[in-house]
Amino acid sequence: MTLLPIHLQFIVQEVFVLRSRFSILWLLALLHGPAMSQSGTCSFRLSGSVIDQHDRTPLPYAEIFLLEVERGVVADEQGNYAMVGLCAGSYTVRVTHLGCEPVIRKLELRADLVLDVRLEHHAHELHEFEVARTRPDEHVGQANEGLDKPAMERSAGRTLGEMLATMAGVNVLSSGPTIAKPVIHGLSGNRILTLNQGIRQEDQQWGAEHAPSLDPLTSERITLVKGAAAVQYGSDALGGVVITEPVELPRDTGLHGEVRAQGVLNGKGGGGYGMLQGGVKGVRGLGWRVQGSGRYLGDSRSANYMLSNTGVREGGASATMGYRDHRWNSIVYYSYFTRELGILRASHIGNLTDLNSAISSGRPWYTGDFSYAIASPRQLVQHHLAKAEVGYAVSDRGRVQLTYGYQADDRQEFDVRRGGRSNIPALDLFLLTHTGEAVWKHWIGQRLHGKMGVSGLHQENFNQPGTGVSPLIPNYRKRSGGVFILEHLPLGSRLELEFGARLESTLLHVAKYNTDDVLITPEHAFTNHALSLGANWTVKDSLRIRFNISSAFRPPHVSELYSAGLHHGAAAIETGDDQLKSERSLKAVVDLEGSWSEGRTTAQLTFYAHRIHDFIYLRPAGQQLTVRGAFPVFQYTATQAQLVGMDMRFDQRIARKWTWEFRGSTVRARDLEQDEWLFQMPSDRVENSVSYEFSAKGDRSGLELGLTSTLVLQQERIPHGLDFSAPPGTYHLVGCHASATKAMGKQQLRIGLRGANLFNTTYRDYMDRFRYYADARGLDLTLWITCTFGSPRSAK
Amino acid sequence: MTYIMRIHPTSRSIPALVAVTALLAFSACKKDKDDVLTPSTPPANEEEVITTVQLTFTDQETSTEVFHMSYNANDGGSGGPVVVADVIPTQRAFDVTVRFLNESVSPAVDLTSEVLAEGTQHQVFFQVTNGNLSMAYADADANGKPIGLGNTAISGAASTGGELRVILRHQPDKNASGVASGDITNAGGETDVEVVFPLTIQ
Repeated sequence: MTLLPIHLQFIVQEVFVLRSRFSILWLLALLHGPAMSQSGTCSFRLSGSVIDQHDRTPLPYAEIFLLEVERGVVADEQGNYAMVGLCAGSYTVRVTHLGCEPVIRKLELRADLVLDVRLEHHAHELHEFEVARTRPDEHVGQANEGLDKPAMERSAGRTLGEMLATMAGVNVLSSGPTIAKPVIHGLSGNRILTLNQGIRQEDQQWGAEHAPSLDPLTSERITLVKGAAAVQYGSDALGGVVITEPVELPRDTGLHGEVRAQGVLNGKGGGGYGMLQGGVKGVRGLGWRVQGSGRYLGDSRSANYMLSNTGVREGGASATMGYRDHRWNSIVYYSYFTRELGILRASHIGNLTDLNSAISSGRPWYTGDFSYAIASPRQLVQHHLAKAEVGYAVSDRGRVQLTYGYQADDRQEFDVRRGGRSNIPALDLFLLTHTGEAVWKHWIGQRLHGKMGVSGLHQENFNQPGTGVSPLIPNYRKRSGGVFILEHLPLGSRLELEFGARLESTLLHVAKYNTDDVLITPEHAFTNHALSLGANWTVKDSLRIRFNISSAFRPPHVSELYSAGLHHGAAAIETGDDQLKSERSLKAVVDLEGSWSEGRTTAQLTFYAHRIHDFIYLRPAGQQLTVRGAFPVFQYTATQAQLVGMDMRFDQRIARKWTWEFRGSTVRARDLEQDEWLFQMPSDRVENSVSYEFSAKGDRSGLELGLTSTLVLQQERIPHGLDFSAPPGTYHLVGCHASATKAMGKQQLRIGLRGANLFNTTYRDYMDRFRYYADARGLDLTLWITCTFGSPRSAK
Repeated sequence: MTYIMRIHPTSRSIPALVAVTALLAFSACKKDKDDVLTPSTPPANEEEVITTVQLTFTDQETSTEVFHMSYNANDGGSGGPVVVADVIPTQRAFDVTVRFLNESVSPAVDLTSEVLAEGTQHQVFFQVTNGNLSMAYADADANGKPIGLGNTAISGAASTGGELRVILRHQPDKNASGVASGDITNAGGETDVEVVFPLTIQ
């Protein structure tokens, strides 16, 4: 504690008791850590003051945060700050202050450094809208990409799956125009984990026609991890992780909000979104947000005909409240999401003969007039998510975080049925999930930092009685628990290593009636481990290499073990295999990122190789003759799979206002046991876009125009005898977008137009399961408008 | 470490308050239901499943000579479906009625009335191969289109080794070309039943 007096000089006057005490705590906490064990080059000091850019007055209580080492300090009342015990190296400093735009600076620390920060402070408004969630790389060595708010705004009116597909290496597995699931590096469904507000999304992802039940608009940023991340997130994160990032709550008392509306031509519908957030007077750090959104669309249209019964209605709402200071943070969050969607009427067929005649006719057998009505077949899904999170900083070198999640998912599927039964669901599943996690984030010594924790899950799947149909998947109860550790080790300023391990056990109890109507209750236990090793290496300022090799696992889903029945959309009988073992995978990713000509040219190349043992897939197993005619039988089978691929991204600023962007992805997926290609893998895809950006100097108004070309090649790498028809041909689509921003006092208004398939091209996509029945969507135009109010960005 | 304890009271009570609110909210969400692993309801009966198709040929002149064809799917059990088909006499005219039954439940349920009640949404198609039998519709739905539950048939010269295929379509497009006269090509819809009877005329 010898250094104590030196630092106390910064706290000059305790005018505002509460705040000052926090500053003291923060500084003291900092001191008893690294400062006590100074050694080597880790003894530098960063200090300075934070002042207002306009009137040069000191800004008290600004937060100074070093992103690389996750260390922060709060300036005192005079705007002075200091951090000691820092290692030499390059750092990213983020300075935030109430009512200011955060300032982010790079610096090289070779000696003690004085850094004075000038912030543009809007003293009259005191609006800190949203501090962007900047944080150190949590996915060392992993290729990850994000969708930010403007990109999501441009995708207005699209589903989560379609939004994600704008990124390299991501495709969409769809069932007609209404259902889209993301495919990352060739894998989808149960092999993609979705983290919704930090909670594993549990919503019947086993079905190819089950779109994720969440509203992407509840988040302002979606991050995609294109690698196996089971160590950090648990089972199922085999192919990748989709993370809808929680947005930080405001900490000031002003009221901010946003309203969006959109109109969609193809489907003659639209959507709306509204958000309101603020703080609570007198309690600094307490913030709240409420948010709601909806979407209403009628039948879509392909280039030449209506796609009858493809309407969608969607609604969602969320409310959250949280408290945050330098030690505590706690959040309660609740969201509700519901979606009713129609399934292309012509896709509902009887038997193999019907399917073959649908394929040979080349046109859907039913095309009606445009309608908003949704008839059977249709789906009605409701999803509740509640979350409670409490974190406490034991010191500046340790933080404990407890998270609990509750999810209730209700899925009803209605078939075309006889005798007035079309309004009785043919599938009625209720899935209840509790998840809990306790994580300790820590520093060990000067460099080593990371987190370790335990996580648990309790899940019950329940077939609601009264459907009049034997359940496709049985009732089950799943319990799993895991322990994990993930540590980061920076070596010098240019290299960071990450290593981690997880051990997880799953116990599955199933209750089903066998063919003799006798209740059987088989049990399965799965124990798996995962390891990962990653490195981020900044070779030089313009070249960065990430490398990651990690193992992941996925216990077989109940549908793969026990499904038994007729799958209508696919006209196939699917049977499970209760002897299946966990899928085990090993994935290596190398990611090269370069930037030249002062950042005017950037390029990213991602290579990956993925081997999956006991990869579970559906394999044809003959035909079964029923009273409805002949059906092909598919059996869940395990094999050895290997996926190798590459993603490319290239951005070039041509002149100051022109940008050319290129995205490409390719994947080669083999079934090693059968020595043939894997079924339903995305084909090669290339996207080019040119955009023109115009913004007047000193004005926050602007204009952006863009043109996009998407080329998807025919999939030629298919297994023989697995598919009902040949893959559809190569297609090329042209899209456009335009947006204008206008600041008007405290409000900001943005208007945009997005066009898709501008030439109304007739095409079918290999990854669309309804390609047997109908063409994909034709020309579409979306007009959107966003109004932000109370934002600091809109005031001057 | 004493300074760590000197946290302002408000900062501690708020997270606690938030946690209590959360617990209350979650405990109210739980749905009342049976234990998942002991479902009290028996397995759902496939109440709308058709297991059996019966055709009855009644001689139009005598009204007493009756011939039967029956296809029972045998609940997918071993031995496959049970198919019985009488020999149809040559050069006669018949009234042919079609019945659909669910014999997987006891007593068996006649589902023909369901098909008849939704007559506009159903149509039975007959396809004869290698046999001298011509079928014609003799009933009509609310729109004047055939359903195919009541029909007429005329047998010709003797033939063996033929087939009579009976298809029940749900939601066919009865206005499509040829459908009302029994051609299934443009019917669309979903096949509810497709069975084949051996056809012998002598």
